[in-house]
Amino acid sequence: MARLTDIVIDDALLEDACAGREAAQRALYAALAPATATLIRRLVGHRALSEDIFQDTMMTFYERLPQFRREAPLGAWLRRIAVSRCLMHLRSPWQRTRLCLEPVDSGVAAEVAQLITPGYGGELIDLERALASLAPTARAVVWMYEVEGYSHEEIAREFGRSVSFSKSQLSRAHRRLRAWVSPEEHRPTCSLI
Amino acid sequence: MQPDLEQPGTLAPLLRELPDEAAPPYGWSEFRRRAERRARAPRDGSSSSLAALVAIGLGVVALSLRLGEPLRPAPRSPHLAEGAAGVADFAPGETAADSARSEVRTQMLERWLASLPDEPALVRVGDRVAVTGLEDRLAEVDDLLSAEGADQARPVRLQVLQQERRRLVSSLAQVRYAQTLADVSR
Repeated sequence: MARLTDIVIDDALLEDACAGREAAQRALYAALAPATATLIRRLVGHRALSEDIFQDTMMTFYERLPQFRREAPLGAWLRRIAVSRCLMHLRSPWQRTRLCLEPVDSGVAAEVAQLITPGYGGELIDLERALASLAPTARAVVWMYEVEGYSHEEIAREFGRSVSFSKSQLSRAHRRLRAWVSPEEHRPTCSLI
Repeated sequence: MQPDLEQPGTLAPLLRELPDEAAPPYGWSEFRRRAERRARAPRDGSSSSLAALVAIGLGVVALSLRLGEPLRPAPRSPHLAEGAAGVADFAPGETAADSARSEVRTQMLERWLASLPDEPALVRVGDRVAVTGLEDRLAEVDDLLSAEGADQARPVRLQVLQQERRRLVSSLAQVRYAQTLADVSR
């Protein structure tokens, strides 16, 4: 999986894009948009919603591009915009899902299935399901910590919460993921509300 | 044997193996088209000073009243009609006996809130502070509810949190209702 921070952009291309040349901006889009879309979908979950946030993120990226000061790699800069947009969304309480005690019903199963990458049938399907079953905040913390390499301090700063919030979210998510990858009879039940 | 996910470095490689998006959700041309469409969206606030005052005023009143007197519903749209019903029906000082009914009402309010656009047509700092303050508090309560729900150790605390959540949703609905009312009156 290509991470945004791993993508290297040619200086001349960046120069042209900052100067507003459309061909360069289009090339930047081709280079950066797939990893951006993946990151946003992993953080947010829902495909349609991810599209909205993706659009916002890329619009902000191009609006601010002339002010990019190259203090960090371009991918890291774009990642920051994307994460910020996603977390703004996750702060909306009625868009959030959370764990509760009701058993999984068919509607929930369909919703979880929608979060899983279509057409994917590999051995990681359980992990996909497990990830999709996490509450959005927990999923975002897991992804930021495990895949994007954020520290607990950085996650806490991004969420505007304490370091212990990040640690407890991660620990709880680990417990839940472990239960999901264990034999089926031990799987926890969950519901999206 | 299942991997121990608590061990550092165990989960990250598995997650990185998950398939990513092969392509962005749409291409450059579509991105530009959507960006232009959003840029053309009306952002004119010149004729809206009265509506802004109404929104801020109603928002402040709703916040200060919290669960007090219900707002008088004046529905002009399906959004408003649905929201007004929930806001106006909310009764203060609920007891355990009607918590189930309150929960149904709260769910209805949440559906209505979810149906609103992310941002009202007109955004003012005062409204925004009130809304984000309530949203943040709701997020905290949701986190606490998730933790308490998983433990099941303190049912009384769980009940208190659920009541607090219903109260916050009601307050938020009242503020957003006031904003919506101001928007449609423009």
